[in-house]
Amino acid sequence: MLPSSAPAPRGLSRRALLVASAGLALAAAGCTAGSGTEQRGGPEQADRLAAQVAVQEGLVAAYAAAAAADAALGRQVAALAEQAGSQLDRLRAAAPATSASSSPAADGPPAGADVRGWLRAQVAAAASAHAGVCVDQSGARAALLGSIAAGLRGQEAALA
Amino acid sequence: MTEDGARTETDALRGVLAAEHAAVWGYGVVGAALPPERRAEAVTAENAHRDVRDRLAALLEERGADPVLPEAGYALPFPVLSPVDAATLAVVLEDGVAAAWVHALDRATGPGVRQPAVEELSAAEVRAVRWRAAAGRSPVTEAFPGL
Repeated sequence: MLPSSAPAPRGLSRRALLVASAGLALAAAGCTAGSGTEQRGGPEQADRLAAQVAVQEGLVAAYAAAAAADAALGRQVAALAEQAGSQLDRLRAAAPATSASSSPAADGPPAGADVRGWLRAQVAAAASAHAGVCVDQSGARAALLGSIAAGLRGQEAALA
Repeated sequence: MTEDGARTETDALRGVLAAEHAAVWGYGVVGAALPPERRAEAVTAENAHRDVRDRLAALLEERGADPVLPEAGYALPFPVLSPVDAATLAVVLEDGVAAAWVHALDRATGPGVRQPAVEELSAAEVRAVRWRAAAGRSPVTEAFPGL
């Protein structure tokens, strides 16, 4: 929203209008990982970000395991699984020293388990892991991890 | 923390406060467009944003930063004439707050700001998930809220 004294520019999206209203234009331009935002922090931060790649690989594997155990659930959560994959791609791009794991941890749900509940727990654990590391990162890394953690909290809510 | 770093972080927090002011105002519109039996969620969200707004204002005051005051009024990005419009506006509000918090994460100089930033960013996305569902959107989740 814009302050009512300011005319709404034509051609702006709803999101852009709100972002502009809050003086947040820089947020859209300055917070994308790899967009040129200053990367502060040393090798230790990079190592911790690389560890989060493994966490996300495990989550992507969990979505695959859940779909294998319950095909109907797999269809329901296909979009969420795709988002988890996109998050993994961005994490890998932000931690370029990492390479795709050949065998990410992929323990599936226990036999007879509530697959949806199991998957929700995996999502929650990944969100907590990313949020925890986000606090000790800086710059674009913190922004990326925080955003992914929030996205997974949203997935957790959607799976409830 | 360098002086420049502190100023940049404070500027980002002022941006969050501006977004929270807009959200508090906007949820009044959201609630008014919802039927009475569905207003509780809007009230809960408005109260959450009011709480964050007040804590941010106190933090900025402690830092001696110029206060960010609410605008006298805001122009809605679209007419809000139905419950679906209301839910869509709520999504816009939460997305705006999320963008502000991501910016704060990018500019934060320490865990003291990052911790509440990631918590409030997550809370905004969880609320947005419910509103996207109410607005009939699919998927209801975002891979990168605020980015």
